Amino acid sequence: MIKTIAKPAEKKVTGCGECRSTCQSACKTSCTVGNQSCERVTREQKIDEK
Amino acid sequence: MIHVFSHHDQYYVYDVGSGALHACDERTARYLRGEAVELGEEDLRALGDLKAAGLLFAPETAVPPPKPHEVKALCLHISHDCNLRCRYCFADEGAYKSAREVMPFETAKAAIDFLMRESGSRKVLEVDFFGGEPLMNLGVLKQTVAYAKEEAARRGKRILFTTTTNGLLLDDETIEFFNAEMENVVLSLDGRPEVHDAVRRTVNGKGSYALVARNIKKFVRARGDKHYYVRGTFTANNLDFSKDVLFLADEGFDSISLEPVVTDIEGLAIREEDLPAIEAEYDRLCDAYVEREKEGKGFLFFHFRIDLEGGPCLQKRVSACGAGNEYFSVVPNGDIYPCHQFASDPEMRMGNVFDGKVDETIRGRFASNSLFTREGCGDCFAKFICSGGCSANNYHASGDMNKPYPITCAMMKKRTECAMHVLAERKSREK
Repeated sequence: MIKTIAKPAEKKVTGCGECRSTCQSACKTSCTVGNQSCERVTREQKIDEK
Repeated sequence: MIHVFSHHDQYYVYDVGSGALHACDERTARYLRGEAVELGEEDLRALGDLKAAGLLFAPETAVPPPKPHEVKALCLHISHDCNLRCRYCFADEGAYKSAREVMPFETAKAAIDFLMRESGSRKVLEVDFFGGEPLMNLGVLKQTVAYAKEEAARRGKRILFTTTTNGLLLDDETIEFFNAEMENVVLSLDGRPEVHDAVRRTVNGKGSYALVARNIKKFVRARGDKHYYVRGTFTANNLDFSKDVLFLADEGFDSISLEPVVTDIEGLAIREEDLPAIEAEYDRLCDAYVEREKEGKGFLFFHFRIDLEGGPCLQKRVSACGAGNEYFSVVPNGDIYPCHQFASDPEMRMGNVFDGKVDETIRGRFASNSLFTREGCGDCFAKFICSGGCSANNYHASGDMNKPYPITCAMMKKRTECAMHVLAERKSREK
C-alpha cells in the first residue's frame, strides 16, 4: 500500500524574490528554507479561493 | 532519490526529486529500501503509477538557476550592547568582540540608502533590527523605520521590518509601535524559568525570566493575528527541551521556535554524543505536538512547519538564506558583513555603507555557494529543505562554508522527518 500525502503545486513563477528572507523568520541560527511558503503561490491560491 | 523512514509504526516515503510525500505500509517500505520482499501486483502497479506521474524516483534538477545580485534584506545591528549577559551568546553578550556601542541614525540612514540603491528591481525588501538588544537604541530604530518607509514609498517598493528582542524593555508604548510597524517580532525566552534563568541573566547576574516573561506575555496578548515568534535556545543542559516547548505553549504562546545553541562553551555546547537524546526528544515533542493538534490545542513550532505543496521555488531552495549576496549585516560603524553570525570575523568585513560598495571577491564566494557546492549534500534527502545549512555554522565549525556541520545535519534530518509526520497526521484528520 502506498498513498500520496502531499505533492508540490505547479508553480507559475520561480525566483521572483517576493518571499521572506530566510533569516528574518524565527531562528537566526538554523535557517531552514523548507519551512517557508512561496508567498506568490499562497497569494494566488487565496485569490482563487475567493 | 527516495528516503524511506518511519515514525513509530507509520512508514513514509519522501521523493526528493519531486518533493512528494507518501505514506506506505511496512512491506512497501522494506521493498523500497531494497530488502528482499515481494509485493503484490496491485502494490507494484501503484508504485509504477507514481513513478509515471513523476512522484517517485523523479529526476532532480542538476543545474542551479542563476542568482540575482540585487540586495533584498539587511540585518541592522542597531545596538552592540545588551542589558542581559546570556552565557551562550554568540554575539559576545552583545558586543561582538568589539566596543559596546549603538548605531547612530546617520549610519542607519546610510544603510537604508545602500539597501534602496542595491535592491535594483526588487519590490519587497526587509530590514531586521538586531543586537545586542535593539530596544537599547529605540529612538534610532523608530527614526529608521520612518525613513525607510518614506524611501520605499518614494521608489515604489514595500519594506517589511522585524525586531529581535529579549523583551526586557518592552513597555506599552513599544508594544503599540511594534504592532503598528513590525511584520514580525522575535522574542527571546528559553522555556521553563529554571532553564531560562540558568543562562539568560541580567548584568547583575540574576535570572531574567520573571522580568521578561511578563512583558512578552503582554506583547503577545496585544499582538492579535500578526506574526511573532517566542524563540528560545536549548543547550546540553536541557536536552529534555520538549518540556520547554510545551511549557511555552502552556503559557499561551502559539508561535514557538527553540534552537540548538551555537557555542563552544563546555557544558553548554551540543556534542555528537548528545544526538541520540536530542533525536529521541524531537520524537517526544512530535508526539505531543500531534496530540495537541488532535485535541484542538495546537500551536506552531517553527521546525515542524513544512510546506510540501506551496513551498519555496527551486531557486530559493538551492541558494538558501542569501547571506553575503542578497542579505547583509550592518554593524554600528557602518561596516558590512555577510550576516550577523559573521559580524565578529574581521576577515569577513565586506565594506562600509558610507562607501556604498561591497567587496566583490567575498561576495563572489557567497554568491557561488549553493546547495550543489556543499560537501555531502548531494546524497541527503533533506537537501531541498535545509538548502545546505548555515554558511556561518559551517565556517565556524570547519573553516569551510561548504562543509556542513554534521551535528546540525543530524538534527535537521530528524526535524524534517518529524515535520513530515506532523503534516501526514494533519492531512489524515482533514479527510
